[in-house]
Amino acid sequence: MFRRSWRHAAATAAVLLALGSVTACGDDSSDSEDLSENRAGAMENYAVGTQFKATEPLSFSVLYNNHPNYPLKEDWLFWTELQSRTNVSLEKVAVPLSDYNQKRSLLIGAGDAPLLIPKTYPPDVHAYVSSGAILPVSDYLDLMPNFKDKIEKWNLKAEMDTLRQQDGKFYLLPGLHEKPWHEYSLAVRTDILEELNLQVPKTWDEVYTMLKAMKAAYPDVYPFSDRFSQPNPAGNLLNMLAVSYGLQGAGWNFQHVTWNDQAQQFEYTGATEQYKQMLQYLNKLVSEKLLDPESFTQTDDLARQKLANSKSFVISSNAQTLVNDYRPDLAATNPKAKITKIPLPIGPAGEINPASRLENGMMISSKARDSKNFVAMMQFVDWLWYSDEGQEFAKWGVEGTTFVKDATGKKTLAPDVDMIGLNPGAPKHLQKDFGFGNGVFAYGGKPELVQAFFSPEEQEFQQVMNARAPKSPPPPYPLNDEEREQVSLWETPLKDHVYQATLQFVLGQRDFAEWDAYVAELKSKNMDAYLELVNEAHKRYQEKN
Amino acid sequence: MVTVDTAERSSESAPRPRRRGIQETRGYRVFRVVNGIVLTLVVVVTLYPFVNIVARSLSDEAYIIAGKVNLVPRGFTLETYQLLMSDPLFWTNYRNTVFYTVTATVISIVMTTCYAYVLSKKQLKGRGALVGIAVFTMFFTGGLIPNYVLVTSLCLKNSVWAIALPNAINVFNLLVMKAFFESLPTELEEAAAVDGLNTYGILLRIVLPLSKAIVATMVLFYAVAFWNSWFAAFLYMDRQELWPVTVYLRNLIAGATGAENVGAITEANEVQAEATLKAVTIVLTTLPILLVYPFVQRYFVRGIMLGAVKG
Repeated sequence: MFRRSWRHAAATAAVLLALGSVTACGDDSSDSEDLSENRAGAMENYAVGTQFKATEPLSFSVLYNNHPNYPLKEDWLFWTELQSRTNVSLEKVAVPLSDYNQKRSLLIGAGDAPLLIPKTYPPDVHAYVSSGAILPVSDYLDLMPNFKDKIEKWNLKAEMDTLRQQDGKFYLLPGLHEKPWHEYSLAVRTDILEELNLQVPKTWDEVYTMLKAMKAAYPDVYPFSDRFSQPNPAGNLLNMLAVSYGLQGAGWNFQHVTWNDQAQQFEYTGATEQYKQMLQYLNKLVSEKLLDPESFTQTDDLARQKLANSKSFVISSNAQTLVNDYRPDLAATNPKAKITKIPLPIGPAGEINPASRLENGMMISSKARDSKNFVAMMQFVDWLWYSDEGQEFAKWGVEGTTFVKDATGKKTLAPDVDMIGLNPGAPKHLQKDFGFGNGVFAYGGKPELVQAFFSPEEQEFQQVMNARAPKSPPPPYPLNDEEREQVSLWETPLKDHVYQATLQFVLGQRDFAEWDAYVAELKSKNMDAYLELVNEAHKRYQEKN
Repeated sequence: MVTVDTAERSSESAPRPRRRGIQETRGYRVFRVVNGIVLTLVVVVTLYPFVNIVARSLSDEAYIIAGKVNLVPRGFTLETYQLLMSDPLFWTNYRNTVFYTVTATVISIVMTTCYAYVLSKKQLKGRGALVGIAVFTMFFTGGLIPNYVLVTSLCLKNSVWAIALPNAINVFNLLVMKAFFESLPTELEEAAAVDGLNTYGILLRIVLPLSKAIVATMVLFYAVAFWNSWFAAFLYMDRQELWPVTVYLRNLIAGATGAENVGAITEANEVQAEATLKAVTIVLTTLPILLVYPFVQRYFVRGIMLGAVKG
């Protein structure tokens, strides 16, 4: 009895293993460039400016990130209009937004993924490349004229190169922005500025002078008390400073390496001279009691309370926190108070816009390559996500129904359609009732499109930021699987040590005379090996391309 | 009634009729006092978070952010409740939860009872192996992807079976039930057999009627587990109208706190929702199952006692 059941269990296990290995390998799709078998439904002369319409009704499966604010509805105008324009219908696999990434991994791992997998962030792609389940889309860009056109017109080649994997191909069709979209900066109490006869600071040095003047007038407050300190200390403040000092990123956007253009190699961000300078700047703010030392540890709520009770005048902000947090808080405690988000202060790196021009985007299952409708699918993706018409359709909807154009071509929402409170009291909602402005289909594009539903104030902020030069992306250094694993083992101890030392230096618990000792500590945590590996990978990439 | 003497000395405890003449020992009285204090503390400690959550769910966002909500709601508002309950999807998903819980619990009870009853028979050959198979699954599982592949290839996806069948037998519950059945006197079953009942008759007419306590306990265990579960539904349900309410609410919280809306300004009612949503969620999902508790509790206590004290 026992033996038989054991054998049974073993057989079951073997079947499961076999299943697992079958799905893990996937099918080796032919590498040949011959697409003649895959053209069913495709257009013959599809190009930029062409309205894509499949020559026969087609249907593609898509992973759908279901946002609770506009849950999926089958009767959305988006679906019917999409079908009548393109002859394509989409089969949605609805996944709750809360656990989208987990389900995506599961479906890809089980070989059960839909053909189109949108809403994927660039670093997430690495995990799937070696499985072979994802299509190297860079091989098929010729099928996507609009995508190629935007890369060229907006000069995005360098950005695209950062997506390349070890084989020199990229596996993600990212969201493309013409202009970088930077959101975070400092919010400043402008009524205090007026009271003290101060200008809005343009540089970090002027921020210092402003804080000093505020301190002189209000000696018992810390003029600057920051939030966004959990889980990482001063996540936003450190990042803003780092990019202003020409580094790749710090704080909540911690980047281990920064490209040094002069030396033509990568440096360890936390050990650079610029990082030291920005810590010295922060140390100056703390030691002169301009920056609340609790900024590095306190909760967001505490920082908000200090601002609301005029215990501080400056705080990190984005468009939402300004309108949803600070203004209502202040309105309750101090009706005369005025607060604005100022343009990102400028540092030694000059007038740059640090945001990336790539956004989350779409992966395509490699099994799609074997479909007879493959070409039509790529054309469809190209039209909906990357053509001007497709982007406008996904964001604004149908002219006359959801939006109207005036004589100059400026679009406004139809009077009976609401979106983020632009037409309060309107009976219908662009996202909830029509399915447009949907995060799965509408992102990226020209600034007017990206900022279509921004408040006038935020549009003004973006205008200032857009006038600055986009930051050039670092050169690519694609790692292979073993290297990636090795690197991830080194990263955590290095990062922890940088965070720890950052706090010590800024709060004055460690003297800057000990900087070299700190760098030596980083070396003992494999910093040099890390850099060598990254620089090696970069060289390898350069030789290949 | 009690003597004046005793009433004074045991004033801390509730006055109860006691037999005259039997004096409580000093140690016992101390024990009662300490016991009373400790249990009161336990009640306070367990009740406080719940009352706090209920208060939060009824409070205005500003007071919650300021950390001013304690036991009484401040700035009373039902906005979040209204927002949630006006969504038809919420009710669809709530109905799913009830349906999944009832179906899965019934299946689980039948399967667990059958397996446990068989295992409780000492004369069964290979009993050790059967127990071993069950216990093996407590320590080793197939893993996420093989499970998913199995369920998918059995075409269970998008149906209640994907939730009910893979989790039908909880090994811990199985062992508790087995212990209970083992404790029933074999003489009873032998007598029933002599009177002409077959195996199924014995189970249905003799054993089960005597096992109401343990069955009720198992119903409670399984029902609570299925009520709270969201992961299986998240894995196997590809359409939102099939989700249980747990997935719905989990998604709602993620949407309210996520960064999806960056750059845009969220609507005022969604801001309110964000602050109180978690509290409202907890209230709405725990309340129904809490209401079931009192009805099952008398069996629950007896069930645990019967399983443990018999010897």
